[in-house]
Amino acid sequence: MVRAEVVIDEEQCQGCGYCVKFCPRGCIVIAGDKFTPQGYLLPSFVKPDECNTCGFCAMLCPRAAIEVYLNISSEVPV
Amino acid sequence: MSEEAKVVTKQRVAGRPKLLVRQTAGFVYCPGCHEPITARAIAEVLEEAGMGDRTIGVFDIGCSSFLLGLLDIDAVLTPHGRPPDMATAVKRIYPDNIVFTVQGDGGLLSIGADPLLGALTRAEKITIIMLNNAVYGTTGGQMAPTSLVGQKTTTTPQGRDVIRTGFPTHAAEMISTFKGTAYSARGAFNNPYNYERTRGYIKTAFQKQMDKVGLSFVEILCACPANWRLSPEDSLKWIEEKMLPEFPLGEFKSVDKIE
Amino acid sequence: MGERMFIEGNVAIGWGAATAGCQAFFGYPITPQNEITEWFAREFPKMGRIFVQTQSELGSINMLYGAAATGIRAMTSTSSPGWSLMQETMSDMANAELPCVIVDVQRGGPGAGPIRHAQGDYFQCTRGGGHGDYRNIVLVPASTQECCDLVQLAFYLADKYRNPVLVMSDAIIGRLRETVEVEKIEFGSLPDKEWAVKGKANHRDGKRRLVEHGGDLFARYPSYRALLQSLEQKIKQMQESELRYEAYKTEEAELILIAHGYTARVAKEAVNMARAEGIKAGLIRLITAWPFPCQIIREKAYQGCGFLVVEDCLGQVVEDVRSAVEGRTEVHLVSILDRHIPTDGGMILPDKVFDKIKEIQ
Repeated sequence: MVRAEVVIDEEQCQGCGYCVKFCPRGCIVIAGDKFTPQGYLLPSFVKPDECNTCGFCAMLCPRAAIEVYLNISSEVPV
Repeated sequence: MSEEAKVVTKQRVAGRPKLLVRQTAGFVYCPGCHEPITARAIAEVLEEAGMGDRTIGVFDIGCSSFLLGLLDIDAVLTPHGRPPDMATAVKRIYPDNIVFTVQGDGGLLSIGADPLLGALTRAEKITIIMLNNAVYGTTGGQMAPTSLVGQKTTTTPQGRDVIRTGFPTHAAEMISTFKGTAYSARGAFNNPYNYERTRGYIKTAFQKQMDKVGLSFVEILCACPANWRLSPEDSLKWIEEKMLPEFPLGEFKSVDKIE
Repeated sequence: MGERMFIEGNVAIGWGAATAGCQAFFGYPITPQNEITEWFAREFPKMGRIFVQTQSELGSINMLYGAAATGIRAMTSTSSPGWSLMQETMSDMANAELPCVIVDVQRGGPGAGPIRHAQGDYFQCTRGGGHGDYRNIVLVPASTQECCDLVQLAFYLADKYRNPVLVMSDAIIGRLRETVEVEKIEFGSLPDKEWAVKGKANHRDGKRRLVEHGGDLFARYPSYRALLQSLEQKIKQMQESELRYEAYKTEEAELILIAHGYTARVAKEAVNMARAEGIKAGLIRLITAWPFPCQIIREKAYQGCGFLVVEDCLGQVVEDVRSAVEGRTEVHLVSILDRHIPTDGGMILPDKVFDKIKEIQ
């Protein structure tokens, strides 16, 4: 089973919204309820099941604040 | 039935390039500014080419100057407009290094016109990167050589008019007319497709330098939400609707030999 | 035993620079120093060193900034109008602490018209010249041999203090032909330039280097004040250690002439003429225009000595002399207005200086 994970570095984020705009599947939203320590609106990664790790969010973040991971869990015989 | 255990491997798919420095207090760019994305593109190109240890960046005064804090390479900050001069000297002294400049549209085309012409005339084997945001960013939004006709800036409050202030300068096209130019292109960061395309232009520009062909140039349209007085999202629209018709993207010259 | 040549001052500068290990020269044509640029254009490619004819003096000084940032010995040369253009970057180089050598072969000013000799750049050279508080050591040759030797000293002092050093010549010294013995002068060892930009692969610790002229803006200094304190320290050190002058017949002199460059040779001749008539004249010839020999001038003033400044401008050195004597004694001036003819080829000649000496007595 494979699960995508998008981690936004809240110390870096400036709430510009490019990650929200460029995600082709709308996996990131600015809900308006979270803020960075500097007071910018912090987006949330809300649809891990839809994310295909295209990396567009990371690519266009001006602060390079986004890391995209693939968590691959497998059943291994013990 | 044998027992099974769950193993989770975490694979990093995308993120900060190694040569791109994570700045906290020292980061000065406005939210939504495209200039630091240039640092990302340069970092990715240098890492792929394995040239991070043999690169020297020459940065102009202006918003572009702060890129020197974002890239883990040897760097020089120059007096305003002067990077092509410094880059000429550095490249002649360390010809096996990639030597590139980063400058704004004012830094290159206004106060920087003298060094630019000098470098083009002598066909210096350096790469010039110009960040075109159609205003003077650091000083608060005055008219720049690339400001559009009709654009309101702090020194053209009624909008730029051609009678008093002329027309925007097209750097990539102009530079492509010089015999000493090996490569001249214009890119943008307004969507992922254009990011990859522009990163490709930077890669080609550095390659021309490593192949010792001639001067290479990349102009990049950059959003400047703060001085355009627009939100980041509206800045992207402004690039698409206003800048792209005036400053089309593409490669204007690409040769393997200058003659 | 060095090579002996019969050459112009301008050409001697080239030989001095090459002997000192200068690796790069950037220059733009301007009278009366084109012989320097042309010497480097001829000789440096033969030596495998770098020569670039730049697009302007702005190009010259800024390429010099770039070359100095990489740590190699580099220089440029210009005349007075070009020197004016270079001031912003001179200020930047003082902040960035870049070692390099700049030669100014003075010509008439203000404006572009007079292309022949003058000594009107004294203030601009000795006061930093650009914005903010900094100083450059200013060496003044008065012979072609000194053109060769002082350029070598300039490179050493530039590296020693991590500061630009000026060689302030003039069109007469520049075009004068004399015998020069070109010999390498040893000044002592210097530390490695760990701070220079060369590409990370060329640094032992693999860490990146940054050369910038923001001072506290990019955290090289913790604050603006720290930057200024460091500059003040450097100015004091240079003042205390690098003063050079020639004292000619100054023991028991009652009237001391102060001059530099070509007018120092004129003044020396006038001193000889005066001594022949029993007048107790002497000469202090500035070899460094900065640091300035305030101390010896003050001492002589306190002993009751009078001063006669001989300079080929309206009066710049005379202000420093007046400041040093602290009102204790009289300070006279032979200036550019006392040249032998009114056109720009006029010179201050020994007779005129001797007449002034007699007048003062």
